[in-house]
Amino acid sequence: MASLVGAFAASHGPIIARNWDTMAAGHRDKLKAGFDEIGRRLKACRPDLLVVVSPDHWVNFFISNLPAICIGIGEEHDGPPEPFMQKVFPHQRLKGHTAFGRHLLDTALDHDFEPALSHRLRLDHGTCIPLWRIGVDIGLPIVPLLVNDLEEPMLSIRRCLAWGRLLRQAIESYPEPLRVAVLGTGGLSHSIGETTMGWIDEDFDHACIKHFEDGEDGRLAAFLTDALPRTGNGAHEIRDWVIAHAAAGSKGFELIDYFPSPETLVGAGFASWKVAAPATAQARS
Amino acid sequence: MTDYWLSKLFFDLQQDPKLAAEFRADMAAVIDRYEIRPEVRKALLADDVGTIAPLVNAYLLRFYFQVRGMPEGEFISRLHALKAKEGTTNG
Repeated sequence: MASLVGAFAASHGPIIARNWDTMAAGHRDKLKAGFDEIGRRLKACRPDLLVVVSPDHWVNFFISNLPAICIGIGEEHDGPPEPFMQKVFPHQRLKGHTAFGRHLLDTALDHDFEPALSHRLRLDHGTCIPLWRIGVDIGLPIVPLLVNDLEEPMLSIRRCLAWGRLLRQAIESYPEPLRVAVLGTGGLSHSIGETTMGWIDEDFDHACIKHFEDGEDGRLAAFLTDALPRTGNGAHEIRDWVIAHAAAGSKGFELIDYFPSPETLVGAGFASWKVAAPATAQARS
Repeated sequence: MTDYWLSKLFFDLQQDPKLAAEFRADMAAVIDRYEIRPEVRKALLADDVGTIAPLVNAYLLRFYFQVRGMPEGEFISRLHALKAKEGTTNG
């Protein structure tokens, strides 16, 4: 049986890649420290597989065909198409994991979830900035879970929690002894292409962090459902964190760092969840 | 209100560097391949952020003005000017 060995989250603003070499050294050091710590913890988990939960920034999907959520089940995926990403993360192909991707898809369908599927996704900066900065072993298989965080209407927070639990169920019902880690990307608050562009809503971010630390699903969902429509559009990416949170068992997270990053236009957040014991272990204890 | 063809133009420009190069050389010729309404065409040719913004996804809007070569600082200033105008309108 597979097991969840770690759940993490990190921001992914594209300016992190675009301006990495030119931004103020002190600020870059803070970003670097956050990503490095995620990388250190991920490595310590010794994962065989990484599920990356992130948005698609109009790379795979358009409004003519826009899934709420899509599982990448291919043997491999394409690296980032953005030229600024190719400079820092020049990987044209990233290894997938068909067996687990298919198992997650089947588990979803068996439980009345209806995701889209893809045998080959292009993984943009949303997925690849964290992979680049945390220094992930490029041979580590990835199962992408692309969530519509960009165009309304989107999955409810309630449904994101359900997706996280489903992901955990799929991990624990996978028949081989895989060590699986989950990485949610994006957030915290930011505002893109809106009249508030550049706004970092620190009140939202701190409240969000408090709810993730607390870990209680009902309060987290109530807060986000109420607050998301009143903050910048980039905060919708918090859905990816919510899925990681629920996959970890909703036991609260440890904030590695948070700071407003006007240089990259995001509230920069880095976190590591407490991973609840598998359901079978809990039943035994 | 989402404008499908305007969104499609922005999406295609992001997806296809050759089309983006063509667009930079002759905006009007590329715009005319899409079913863009005359008032939207006029707004595109004038870089009228205020008219275009409500018609497309905000991320596509940002990508478009990057393709257009508008510095991000100027793009943000133009968006903020719209907010100031909204504030004035709303009293």
